[in-house]
Amino acid sequence: MIGNDLVDLKLAAKQSNWQRKGFLDKLFTPKEQGYILNSKNPFKTVWLLWSMKESAYKAYLQIHGDRFFAPKNLSSHLISKNIGTVLINNVLFFTESEMNEAYIYTVAFSEKHNNKFLTNCFRFEPTDFETQHSQTYQKVLAAFARELKLPVVQLKIEKNILGVPQLFQGEVLTKHSFSLTHHGQFGAFSIEI
Amino acid sequence: MNKEDLINTLKKIVKPYIQDEEGFENLSENTDFIKDLKINSANLVDVILDVEDEFDIIVDNESMEKMLTVKAALEIIETKLSEK
Repeated sequence: MIGNDLVDLKLAAKQSNWQRKGFLDKLFTPKEQGYILNSKNPFKTVWLLWSMKESAYKAYLQIHGDRFFAPKNLSSHLISKNIGTVLINNVLFFTESEMNEAYIYTVAFSEKHNNKFLTNCFRFEPTDFETQHSQTYQKVLAAFARELKLPVVQLKIEKNILGVPQLFQGEVLTKHSFSLTHHGQFGAFSIEI
Repeated sequence: MNKEDLINTLKKIVKPYIQDEEGFENLSENTDFIKDLKINSANLVDVILDVEDEFDIIVDNESMEKMLTVKAALEIIETKLSEK
């Protein structure tokens, strides 16, 4: 299973105040708060850990369908600056993050060595949330069409009851794991191949 | 505070974080914060912190876990208020 999450740092600075009283306590384990408070750039570390947890949660939901909002039950561990793990209810996920001045982008996998995946990060022209959403869908459909050598018109994405997007070929549900994310100026998709 | 007042107060709290106007216009007990209002999951914690401030209650981790819908939020607020 694969999950991803992108944080546009400029937008995150506007949307959330990580220094707000209670914010760190509600979202992060004591160990994660240690990473943040001891970091040279606490703001970036907040969003790195958040994108690790969120991407792992998106992979987790595909296997164990049960939505919940318990960020502290998602426990992340940093192996290096951009490689880590996230433990969710005894299920371990491996994460790889890309960090630059504009965004943090993390891909999470349920298995360490199953790293055959395609991932693509892109910048949007200024547009609204809905348009970004549909453009992200179009991009992932085009990628699947190329990978599976199928006409794109045969493919569609529908969300299941948990809000997890799933790929259909005609009316038949496929088993391909993938994940979509968009935030602010940036979007990305990851597909397992 | 009756249910209607509670919903109106909650509506005021979530407004700054919503990314779906239509979902917000049609807000009901069945509204899902993430699926229907497209609230960014990191902002869900702001909703919870605002709820704590507004009603002067503490939403513990166990309650927070369920707080994905208006209905669940109302139940949690009502329970916490009754315990005061």
